[in-house]
Amino acid sequence: MMMQIFFQSWLPFIYLYGVGGIFFFSGMYIVIKSGALNLKKRRHRFWLKILLGGFFFFMFMHAFLIIAALYL
Amino acid sequence: MESHHSLGTSSDWIVMAVYFIAILAFGAYFSKYNRTTTDFFFGGRRFAWWLIAMSIVATGVGSHSFIKYSAKGFEAGFSSTMTYINDWFFVPFFIFGWLPIIVYTKIRSIPEYFEKRFSPITRFFATFLLLLYMIGYVGIGFLTMGKAILPLLPPEFTIFGFHFNVTLMGLVIVIALIIGIYITYGGQTAVIFTDLLQGFILIFTGFLVFLLGIDYLGGFGVFWNLLPTEWKLPFAHFNNPPGFNFVGIFWQDGVAGSVGFLFMNMGLIMRFMACKSVDESRKAATFNILFMLPLSAIVVGNAGWIGKAISVANPSVVPPDTNPDAIFVVVANIISHPGVFGFIMAALTAALMSTVDTLLNATAAVYINDIHRPVKKWLTKKIQSWKEEDKEELFSARIATAIFTFLGVLTVIPFSKFPTVYEAHGYFHSTLTPPLVVAIFLGVFWKRFSNSSVIGTLVGGVALMILGMYYPRPLIEFFDHGTAFDPKHPYTYIGALYNLFVCVLFAVLTTFTIKQQLKIVEKIKNSPNHSLIMASMVVASIVIFLLIAFNLLPMIVLVILTFIMVFFVVIVSNYYIEYNEEEKTNGLTVWSINKAKEYFKGSKINDREGEKIKVNWKLKEGEDDTIHFSKNDMKRMAAEVGDLVYISDTRKYLGGLKSCHTVYGEPHDEDGVVYISREHVEQGQFVKGHKLIAEKEM
Repeated sequence: MMMQIFFQSWLPFIYLYGVGGIFFFSGMYIVIKSGALNLKKRRHRFWLKILLGGFFFFMFMHAFLIIAALYL
Repeated sequence: MESHHSLGTSSDWIVMAVYFIAILAFGAYFSKYNRTTTDFFFGGRRFAWWLIAMSIVATGVGSHSFIKYSAKGFEAGFSSTMTYINDWFFVPFFIFGWLPIIVYTKIRSIPEYFEKRFSPITRFFATFLLLLYMIGYVGIGFLTMGKAILPLLPPEFTIFGFHFNVTLMGLVIVIALIIGIYITYGGQTAVIFTDLLQGFILIFTGFLVFLLGIDYLGGFGVFWNLLPTEWKLPFAHFNNPPGFNFVGIFWQDGVAGSVGFLFMNMGLIMRFMACKSVDESRKAATFNILFMLPLSAIVVGNAGWIGKAISVANPSVVPPDTNPDAIFVVVANIISHPGVFGFIMAALTAALMSTVDTLLNATAAVYINDIHRPVKKWLTKKIQSWKEEDKEELFSARIATAIFTFLGVLTVIPFSKFPTVYEAHGYFHSTLTPPLVVAIFLGVFWKRFSNSSVIGTLVGGVALMILGMYYPRPLIEFFDHGTAFDPKHPYTYIGALYNLFVCVLFAVLTTFTIKQQLKIVEKIKNSPNHSLIMASMVVASIVIFLLIAFNLLPMIVLVILTFIMVFFVVIVSNYYIEYNEEEKTNGLTVWSINKAKEYFKGSKINDREGEKIKVNWKLKEGEDDTIHFSKNDMKRMAAEVGDLVYISDTRKYLGGLKSCHTVYGEPHDEDGVVYISREHVEQGQFVKGHKLIAEKEM
């Protein structure tokens, strides 16, 4: 049963933010390296915060939903 | 499986009819803003981010929607939300890569990008694949709508002595006729505004169903406690069952679907292109993915969760074997009163209409841009005035919309064979998106990805994908992450990983061997039999592709032949098509966005930050596309003559409906006044006495 729950909670979570994270941070690296996201511009620094904030927002939201389902 | 008919009362039907008439009238009012094909397809590139963000809700929610996610919510619980909250990974690629490129290079369709970035032949491949994708998407929309409305109708009825059996296909045809007529005369501005209204209504309706359901069950605590733990988890089981599992859906929806939706869905891209600037498009996209998609996940799936809870508490009211695709309608009927049910159903079907009309509008745009114009240019040398040409294109766009509506209806036939809309959509996404997704993605982010590489990727990728369909075992099995093999629908979701892998494989192989390919081409060119060698390679490639398509040889032989075919294809493309990397990537990849901006403006960019200013407007003599501010106002905006400017009505709630883009002309000395032409007034639908707000673009 524990294994069953792990296969439906933390394993997908790790896979999602592990593999998804590789895509996300590769994207961040490419757009910064290419200058498309130019950190010298004030507006682009705002976008950097939004992009990183969004990633962690979804990560924490999923973690919260798992904890709520398991323990509340 | 329990099926339902004749749900709802006559008052529900009256509410539905009134709702539809109101929505059609609303759309018809805004169709007056279509003056050109640019307005018809792109809404004149003038809207504020919030307006586009809300209008996208109706498009996104409508497409994947109530039926599909309620079905999965009923079968699996909160994990129905998975696909709505896994889109963030590709947002950096989209908002700082693809979005600025497609706006600044003034590309009107994805195939046009292929021509600019690679060659005309790749535009042909892309048009073909994109139209297949979009028509399939329209078909999914029709199927969903048919399944939503079918439970409301009686199994048969007689009218004026004629007897009719109500079937899914018959219903789909009637729906298609209504939508075809609506979109043909509406255009993008009408679509945006009806979608905006419906975005609000959908969110309201979804939460209304949730609240009514919670109330019906006796409160949130009762609802929460009725559901077992595994139904409350936000993820499905990692790899089981084959019909709904996390890892398959991650690759099918989170990767192929997300990139496909953001990079390939012309309906969505056109919506972002209707924003007044790239920054506004970024805001619309991020707001939508960060806030509206998680809310939409609740809105579209909650009827299934409520249905599950009712089936646990009282199986006689909602039997556990209820058809999952009918659960939304069944639950809405149980928890709401007559009239309210009609309103919910009207909102649902209108949302589905939003999705389909957006896609049909986009499909017509692809047709005009990638088939009509190139073919016309090739066939006729007749010179037409701009207005004559535009009128003719608008007419052709309307005819094309009608034809694509018909083709969309035809695709419903194969999709209706899947157990639920969710599976049909999943299979469709994992099969059709990977080749184009890989081609666009690498085209934008990998400078070395060349013309022969993209052709090799498309041809080789499609060939191995076909073999994957014939031989899911062992080809896809290698990637299955332990997902069980279902012989009826093998690897519906995880097939996307295999399809992406084979496309990327050919992309990498053909890109890293470009020097060797060019050496071989050079040798062939020096041979006296070069024409014969090339002709043999072309014929051999066609024969091999047919052998693969019809599965005429053992698998292993066909796999080897695929690699040989790709070798021939890249050699042939290098032989016949000149490809200059510098020229073909300038402004067309993420590595040269500033060049794209310069191309957009037509001169050096002015990046100095200035103010937005409010001005009164006066008519000027002449029709040239410049407007004139005072010297002081130009200084406040940090603008120079020749820079681009955006002017709009000061009323923010209009969201840019009354606005236009133009160019700074020579300044004058009258502060607080802008001189504009009659054409600007007509384009922006400016009202006498209302001030304008002006901001420098670049």
